[in-house]
Amino acid sequence: MGVTFTTEVTLSESGFLFDHSTGLTYTLNKTGQFIFKKLREEIEAPAIAEALQEEFDVDGSKARKDLDDFFRQLKDMGIVE
Amino acid sequence: MNESVHVAVTGLHAADNPAPGIGIIRSLRHDPDWNGKIIGLAYDVYDTGVYDHNLLDYTFLIPYPNQGSEQVFERIMYIHEQVRIDVLIPTLDSELSIYQKLSPRIREAGIKMYLPSEEMVKARQKANLVAFCEKHDIPTPKTIAINNPGKLDDALDEMGFPLYVKGVFYDAKLCRTKDDALKAFDGFRKQWGLPVLVQESLSGEEFDICAVAHDGELLGALPIRKVRLTDKGKAWAAISLKNKELEMLTSKILNGLKWTGPCELEIMQDSKTKKLYLLEINPRFPAWIYLGTGANQNLPKLVLDLALGKDVSPLPPAKSGVTFVRHATDLVCPLEYIENLIVKGELYYDQIDR
Repeated sequence: MGVTFTTEVTLSESGFLFDHSTGLTYTLNKTGQFIFKKLREEIEAPAIAEALQEEFDVDGSKARKDLDDFFRQLKDMGIVE
Repeated sequence: MNESVHVAVTGLHAADNPAPGIGIIRSLRHDPDWNGKIIGLAYDVYDTGVYDHNLLDYTFLIPYPNQGSEQVFERIMYIHEQVRIDVLIPTLDSELSIYQKLSPRIREAGIKMYLPSEEMVKARQKANLVAFCEKHDIPTPKTIAINNPGKLDDALDEMGFPLYVKGVFYDAKLCRTKDDALKAFDGFRKQWGLPVLVQESLSGEEFDICAVAHDGELLGALPIRKVRLTDKGKAWAAISLKNKELEMLTSKILNGLKWTGPCELEIMQDSKTKKLYLLEINPRFPAWIYLGTGANQNLPKLVLDLALGKDVSPLPPAKSGVTFVRHATDLVCPLEYIENLIVKGELYYDQIDR
């Protein structure tokens, strides 16, 4: 899963996400922030899922599901494609 | 130190439908190099901005535009004799045509303005916007201008519901049924005359852009998203954006119009196709213009410089993420403010003890 960011976004330490082109704001939980930062570092999906397992002590299927769900939400928000 | 400049500004009433004058004055005063006097031109003793002595050096009552251009001209000349006006910034739609008409005489008297021409303003009028957009390949919602009430039924059938019925100068109503549309049509016809416009309803995100251009060249642009509206649809909070597509479309539109002066564009992004549609162009500053001072887009200062004939360069893009929230407050003032305005029609703030 290689992602392309379609808009300029800023994520602050508190999890507050701002889309500069639309003015929309979102709040990411710890998992969302973790995935978002990995996507920004251009890390591939399998490696993110592994990192999620380690960081949040979840099994592989749960990590992949959370990653897919979050990615879908980012797509719906028009932030990635 | 810059030479002192005297700027007269209209549109001082900032109540539930705020006029742009206060935001313009605050923007001018915000400039670190500001050195001048502000002359408030008020239509009513109770125009709210008149009571803020931190904004104005003088206030003069002026006649409403519908009292005729000669009355307005005479009053402006009187004020010019009393306190000198270097630059005049009219801020309301209803004033524009009168100041355009008076422009050569006002210029001759030594007062500068920076306004779009009558042709530019006419080209962006609601009834002419579709033709302009077609000519310049700019997407705009499908619109039918109704000059004959007998044609309304056909237009409603052709457009389908929901749709907007819009007055030729102001106001728009979202209509979901034929009854709604007939009622809105009659209301707007009585209030603003014909044509009344029937426009397709798009669903998506709405953006506003305040821009300043000279002969079609974009010199400054402030795109925003309104995040809180009053029940009249006026912005009560907004956030500045960095959006290349919006800026490119703005540039294309103003270039097509060969626009000179300030304006506010209303643009809709279709939620499905993400395509941008031009909804309206207002030929003046919006009331929220003070937001620009935080976003590196002091557009009233830019207009002042242009009016004074200074060399200006296009401003860099606006800083995004800057927010404004409007805040209603109470101004306390001495009785002499009201007395001077009622009796003399003018108020010199430094002559009143507070």
